[in-house]
This record gives sequence, structure tokens and C-alpha cells, in this order.
Amino acid sequence: MINRRNLLFLAFGTTFGFLLSRAGATSPAIISELLLFEDLRLLWVIATAVALGAALTWLAWRFGWRALNTGEPISIQHKPFKRGLIVGAVLFGLGWAGTGVCPGTALAMIGEGKWFALWVGAGILVGSGAGSWINHRLERG
Amino acid sequence: MDTFATLIDALFSPLWTPVLVGALIALLAFTQRWLVDQPLSCSTGFANLAGYLRPGTARDPQGDWRIVFLLGIVLGGLIAALTDGAPAWQGTAAEFGRFYTALVPESTLGSAIWWLVGGLLIGLGARLAGGCTSGHTIAGVAMGAPASLVASAVFFAVAVGTAQLAAWMLGV
Repeated sequence: MINRRNLLFLAFGTTFGFLLSRAGATSPAIISELLLFEDLRLLWVIATAVALGAALTWLAWRFGWRALNTGEPISIQHKPFKRGLIVGAVLFGLGWAGTGVCPGTALAMIGEGKWFALWVGAGILVGSGAGSWINHRLERG
Repeated sequence: MDTFATLIDALFSPLWTPVLVGALIALLAFTQRWLVDQPLSCSTGFANLAGYLRPGTARDPQGDWRIVFLLGIVLGGLIAALTDGAPAWQGTAAEFGRFYTALVPESTLGSAIWWLVGGLLIGLGARLAGGCTSGHTIAGVAMGAPASLVASAVFFAVAVGTAQLAAWMLGV
């Protein structure tokens, strides 16, 4: 459906995919160099993104910056401690190390014509569906 | 004029200075929060898409933007590849790097299964953990969320440990 919100998110996604590519995050070789501590360029990308993000979050909180859509102070959303958090994070780390791909970069790689990422993307899609189902069961049980 | 030419060259180079890209990612993520009060998120969109593809699931239009965002990432990758002045991806050993060339099975079927199973672990893990390197690490840690700090620490510890161990076993 085409509306302003979706067009805005299309622009956000496009910019994010472009930046992931220019960062080198869409190259399995560069991911392996990060994990094997051979070239830390991606560590600097992540560290800068987190540090500047934290500084902006602090400024927004300190000076009560408001979100344009709600007119309320920009929210600081803390994700909950899910029951499967540790197990999930371990599985994620295994998959990430095994493929050199994460959910965001899989999509950017498909756009770049790195076709092996279609397999990874298909796996992520099925895995996400299964994970949602397990989360649902864990929350009920 | 020289400065302009240098800037154009830099724009079209396949890799930008890490600190610059990191800063731009932070600004993008914050702009998203400023305009629509919504932190960066990737893996939840995959879960929504999986839900839509399952027959008999009611579609929640409130989550459509997540899927549009994922579509944008594909488009961004395409634009990046068209403007980096480098030859198209061939899937050579040099492009995958020493480690993944040694790690991933050589046969077409074997490698397809490898990528698919890797993707399954990533998708399943991200859902159980409640986020991925975007939602937990870039967005969550920047907001000081304890769950995101723990999840990110485990992502990195396990990925680094696995890769180091595999590299040692493979002798690469």
C-alpha cells in the first residue's frame, strides 16, 4: 500500500541498504576479517554508529526533543528480556559466523546481485516464522 | 575543482571510511526515531513477512512499513552495486575470502543447504532473542537497553568464538 509512511520507510531502507554496502558489511570476506580480528573496519562502523546513537539518545532525553509524528518526546524503547534471549543469541551468533550474513545485509546482498544470499534470506524467513511460533508458545506456557 | 572531483570519486568508491559510514548509520537511525518515533529494525520485518506468507493469517497493515523497509534495503544494495565502479559479483573464492571459501561446502547442493541452514539459525535466533544486529546492537545498545546489551554481547562472543575455532580447525 502506498502512503506517506511507507514511502518514508522505503527511503529509510534504501539509505540503510546503501550504507551497509558502503560499510563493507555486505562482503562475507570483510565479515570474516572482523570475526578473525584481521581487519577491524566493521568494528569502527558499529562502534561509531552505537556511540553517536547513544549521544543523540542522551541529547534527545536531556532536552526533551519531540518526535514529529506524535508531538511527544522521542521514546526510548527498551526491548524486553525474552525467555529465549540467550539461546536465540547463541543460534544467531552461530548462523552469523557460519554465513557472514545477518538479516539486514542478506537483503542488501540480494540487491547487489550476490545470489547466494537468496538462500540465506529464504532460511531467515522460515527461521523467523518458526521463531515467532516458539515465542508465542513460550509466552503462553 | 579538485575537491569536487575527490568528493565524486569518494562517493563512487565501494568502501567508505568506517567512522563516516557509522556516523551516517547513526544519523539515519536517529532521523527515523525523530520523524516517526520508530527505532531501526530488520528481523521483525522478516517475521511479519513470514506471517503474511502463511495461509490463513490475518494481515496487520500496521506492520506493513517493516516489510517496505526491507524492500528498501534490497533497493539500496542495488543502487550501491550500480554506483561502486567495481565489476559485478562473480562469487569467486577471492570475493568470499579465505575463511568462507574453506568453510562452505564446494558443491552447488552442499553450499545451498549450508546457506539455507545458516539462514534458519539466523532467523530463529533473532526471533528468540527479540532482535538482530540492527534492532539489538545498533538501535538497542544506543538506547541503553539491558536486554540489547546482553544479546549483542552474546551475538559477538559466539560469532567470534565460532569463527576463530573454525579457522583454527580448518587451518586457515
